[in-house]
Amino acid sequence: MRVIYALWIRNLKIFVRNKPALVLNLVFPFFFIYVFGEIFRNDAIENHITYMLAGIIIATVFDISLRVSTTTIDDITSGFMKEVLVSPISRLAIAAGQFVSSATVATMQGLIIFVVGFFIGLRVTSPLTVIYVIFAMIFVGLVFAGFGLLIATKTKNIQTFQAVSIAVTMPMTFLSGAYIPLSLLNDVLTGIAYFNPMTYAVAFFRTIALEKTNLSLVEMVNEGLAFEIGRFTIAPMASMLILLVFGTVFLALSTITFVRVDFSRLNRNKSDSIEFE
Amino acid sequence: MKPIIEVKDFVKRYGNFTAVKNVGFTVDEGSIFAFLGPNGAGKSTTINTLCTIFDKTEGTLTIDGKDVSTQKNQVRSVIGVVFQDSTLDKKMTVEENLKMHCVFYKVPRSEVEERIQFVLKLVDLLEWRKKMVSALSGGMKRRVEIARGLIHYPKVLFLDEPTTGLDPQTRAHVWEYIQRLQKEKNITIFLTTHYMDEAEICDKVAVMDHGKIIAYDTPLELKKKHTKDRAYVTTVNPAVFEKVLDSQNIPYIKKERYHLTDVGDKTRLLYALSECRSDITDIEIRKGTLNDVFLEITGRDIREGGGSR
Repeated sequence: MRVIYALWIRNLKIFVRNKPALVLNLVFPFFFIYVFGEIFRNDAIENHITYMLAGIIIATVFDISLRVSTTTIDDITSGFMKEVLVSPISRLAIAAGQFVSSATVATMQGLIIFVVGFFIGLRVTSPLTVIYVIFAMIFVGLVFAGFGLLIATKTKNIQTFQAVSIAVTMPMTFLSGAYIPLSLLNDVLTGIAYFNPMTYAVAFFRTIALEKTNLSLVEMVNEGLAFEIGRFTIAPMASMLILLVFGTVFLALSTITFVRVDFSRLNRNKSDSIEFE
Repeated sequence: MKPIIEVKDFVKRYGNFTAVKNVGFTVDEGSIFAFLGPNGAGKSTTINTLCTIFDKTEGTLTIDGKDVSTQKNQVRSVIGVVFQDSTLDKKMTVEENLKMHCVFYKVPRSEVEERIQFVLKLVDLLEWRKKMVSALSGGMKRRVEIARGLIHYPKVLFLDEPTTGLDPQTRAHVWEYIQRLQKEKNITIFLTTHYMDEAEICDKVAVMDHGKIIAYDTPLELKKKHTKDRAYVTTVNPAVFEKVLDSQNIPYIKKERYHLTDVGDKTRLLYALSECRSDITDIEIRKGTLNDVFLEITGRDIREGGGSR
């Protein structure tokens, strides 16, 4: 526990110390709201600004969580991981520390945007909604922390990692309904979106944040909160369950990979890359 | 003194390549032990296996009676490691690095503060405590690493080329700290280096080449066994000098000055020199060094070694 806590504090400090990133992370979402909100005005949706906002909050949580948990790759390249590996602590604790940190940082950033959202028209009628929103952010944060660590441990050098992370995050963000409503996508892209865990995160988070839980299924489908896939209709609750499955798989897989990966084989820098040949 | 590190029949293979071939040695508790050899000799492989990072192929390696392959965590608790490359957390301050290390090594919370004070004082970095690691110079970073490697009071401290890339002054400082430590805390120090002069102060030295230990003794014994004192003499009257040298059975090579290749017996040298005292314009006597030992055993200079390992 002490290890998890120490890693948690470490990652929070890194997050808070990086002031420029803090500001950019706050500016970008509102920039996106302005741009995409104007382009994708949709009559089926009553308040497109808050609709966009909810999507962007959860996209930010996704993005930050992924980024923080992939700082593991920085730790590996900077050599810090080597120090960790010769110490008598379990790798399980390290993985757990990374997950908890990522989810926390992501939730904090998400909350900041959420709060600023009140100045541009976001309203909640029940204080419970705020609590649900926080829990939803932590949950989504954890899911993608697992995903991030998986990418970080699978791609062993920083160049590959950067390429992979762009290749993965871009489609995951844009084919999820967070910025662009799914109804505007063609059949192929919509089909792809259904395999994207972010799609379900967006749908279920939006339903909670905009207090739409009382809507009928038909209304939910109209507003893009529920999906009709073939004969099935996926309600926000089902979305959450799907995300839970994704999350469990990500966390389990990434933990297993992280515990097993041979860090001495990592391509950290030039002089080390020829170490074993 | 009882041995704290014991290595028997250690073999490490990477595929078809054998990096370490049947190596065996022991290190006494509280001593400074140096592993010498050119790059690629198998030093780092051995040290990494002892530090539980690599797995051995064959053999038995124990530290403080614990097996490095089957009791990894027990071994890790009693060793401190300073790697060739920095493993500090650059995004954190000196203090935070040390605190994190205390957590990893389960140092009791009540002792953390006291130990941070102690190790920082040891490496003269107390006033740098709150500074970010990234703001420190190379030598300071190395000292922080040494401090960190000590904070959990290890029985053995491994230093993989602790002074590589440091300027001579910092090198001297780092050595001062290492020696102070060994004296004050009776810590066993196991280091690798390819600077022969650094090995001179060690209690015992193992010279490694091509995956084998080719010499293993105290620096003094090694030098006695494998090197001869030399003298370099310049004279204005070569004919007379050569005659005297021959009469005294002192071997020499004539170059731009006379290289007297074995002047172990100083009385003969003194006699030869006094015979020609009016002709001699310059004398230099050179004691054998560990580099000469290496040269003598392998027939090549230690710096000529191959790729990085």
